[in-house]
Amino acid sequence: MAAIEIRDLSKSFGPVRAVDGVSFTVEAGTITGYLGPNGAGKTTTLRSLLGLVTADSGSALVNGRRYVELDHPLSEVGAVLEATNFHPGRTAFNHLRVLCTAARLPVARAEDALARVGLADVAGKRVLGFSMGMRQRLALATAMIGDPGVYILDEPANGLDPAGIQWLRGFMRHLAHERGAAVLVSSHVLAEVEQIVDNVVIIAKGRLVRQGSLAELISNGQAPVVRVRTVRSEEFAATLERHGGQVEAADGVLRVRGLDVESIANIALDERVLLTEMTQERGDLQQIFLELTGEEQS
Amino acid sequence: MGLVRAELLKLTTTRLWWVMLLVMLVYVGISLGFLIAFAGDPGPNGQALIPARHTLAFQESLWGVGTGGALFAAVLGVVMMTSEYRYQTITTTLLVTPKRARVVTAKLIATLVVGVALGLAVLALTGLALVVTVLTAGGDLMFTGTVGRVLVSVLAVLALYTLFGLGLGALIRNQVGAIIAVLAWIYILDSLVNAIPALQPLGKWTPGGATAALTNTGVGFGLDTSYLLPAWAGGLVLLAYALLFSALASVTTLRRDIT
Repeated sequence: MAAIEIRDLSKSFGPVRAVDGVSFTVEAGTITGYLGPNGAGKTTTLRSLLGLVTADSGSALVNGRRYVELDHPLSEVGAVLEATNFHPGRTAFNHLRVLCTAARLPVARAEDALARVGLADVAGKRVLGFSMGMRQRLALATAMIGDPGVYILDEPANGLDPAGIQWLRGFMRHLAHERGAAVLVSSHVLAEVEQIVDNVVIIAKGRLVRQGSLAELISNGQAPVVRVRTVRSEEFAATLERHGGQVEAADGVLRVRGLDVESIANIALDERVLLTEMTQERGDLQQIFLELTGEEQS
Repeated sequence: MGLVRAELLKLTTTRLWWVMLLVMLVYVGISLGFLIAFAGDPGPNGQALIPARHTLAFQESLWGVGTGGALFAAVLGVVMMTSEYRYQTITTTLLVTPKRARVVTAKLIATLVVGVALGLAVLALTGLALVVTVLTAGGDLMFTGTVGRVLVSVLAVLALYTLFGLGLGALIRNQVGAIIAVLAWIYILDSLVNAIPALQPLGKWTPGGATAALTNTGVGFGLDTSYLLPAWAGGLVLLAYALLFSALASVTTLRRDIT
C-alpha cells in the first residue's frame, strides 16, 4: 500500500477546473516533488488530500484511508500549508500547546518539536515578531508534533533564506531516508527540490504532464548525450559513427548519442585520438520543466 | 473534552478576551453607576424614572443591567470564529480534527462556557455595586422570584449572545465586517425598532426585545415596556436566535472548502 495514493482526482472552483484527473502515488522512504507553475493545481490537490477541500470526483488516500477517516491524523500525517497559519498574538509554544490539547498528545511533544526545528529559544515569544523563516520552522514543528510517517509540504521553501533552504533539504532527507517517511513536497521552482527528490510529478493547468524518477525526467525520453571535443573532429565523428554512434557536429564540438562515455574513451584510445573535453550532458532540467509545463522561458 | 479545552485555550492564549472582559465590565459599571446615582430622582412629570435605592423595584431592575454586556459577548463570539479565518488557523484546526462536526460541537460548547463566564462576571459586578449601595442606603438585600429570574436571564442572555456572535462570524467570516454587522444589529437596529413605538410590534421579536422581556421587571427607566413579550416567550425567542445562528455556524463550517 502506498503512503499516498491519488486517483483520478478532479476539482472545479466555479468554471475553473483546478485539478483534472490527477493520479499518482508516493511510497514510504522517498521524497516526491510535486512540481508545476503557480496556479497549476498543486495546492488544491494537497488540500483535497488533507480533507480541507472536497473533491468533485476521484479519491485521495493517506495510508489507504481518506484523511477525514483518520482517528489520530497528526500521528499519521504532518502537513505544512502556508506560513501564515498562526495567530500573531499567540506564542510559538502556546500554538503547539493548543494542537497537543486538541490531538490529545502530551504537551512535552510541543517542546520536543520546537527543539527539533531550532525554535526552543523563542518558544515563549509571540509569533507576531517571527520572520518568514521562523514561521516556516514553526509550521514544520506543527507537522512533526505527532511524529507521523507521511509529510505533505506545500511550498515549504517559500520565504526561506539560502541557509534555511539548505536546512530544509537536510531535514527532508532526514525524514525520508533515515526515518523512512513518505515526503510529498510541492514547489513551483524546480531548482529548490531537484537536489533532493527521488521522484517527480509535474502538473500544469490541472493536468498531470509527467511522472517518474528524476533520472527519467532528466533524460526526457531521449538517449543521453556526450559532448566530445577534439582537434580532428571530422575524422573522429566518422569513426564514432562506424561504431554505432549518432553524431552532431557544431563549432568543433561533437554531440554524441548512442555511445556512453566509457566506449567513446576506448575508441579514442584505440584510434590514438587526443580528446580535449568529454562530458555527459545533463539535460537542462529547468528547460524541460518549462517545456513540459508550457511556460515560455523569459 | 480535549477539543473544548483546546478551543478555550485558543481564547486564553491571546489577549483579546481580558480586554473584552474589562471593556464589558467598565461599560456595565458605568450603567450601574448612572442608575445608582440618579435612583429616586424625580423625572419630568414628577415621578421617579429610576426607583429609589431602598425599594425592591430598584434591586430587581438593577440586577438586569448586566445584559448590557451582551454586545461584548456577541463580539467575543464573533472573534472566536472569525480569527480562525482571519489568520487561517482554521486550516490547522481541521487538520488536527478533520471530523468537522467535532470541531463545531467543541466550539459551540466553548462559546457557551465563555458566555456563562461573562455572565457571572457582570453578575458579580452588579452584586458588588448592589451590596454597597443598599447597605449605604440602609436597606436590606432582597431575593425574590423576580430577582432569581433576572439572574438566570442575565446568564442566559450573555451565553446566547456569544453563540449568536459565533454564528454570525461563521457566516460573514471577515472579522471587521462581522463585528460591524453585530454592532449595527444590536446597537442600532435593535435599539431603533424597540424605541420607536410604531416599530415595537416588530421590536419585541428582535434579540434586543427578547432580552428586555427576559429581564423585564416592569421598570422601564422612562420607557414603556408593556409591548414586550412575556419573559418566558422572550427566552424562547432568544433561544431560537441562538439555535438558528449555531446551526448557521455548523452548516457553513461543516461544508465549506478551506482554500
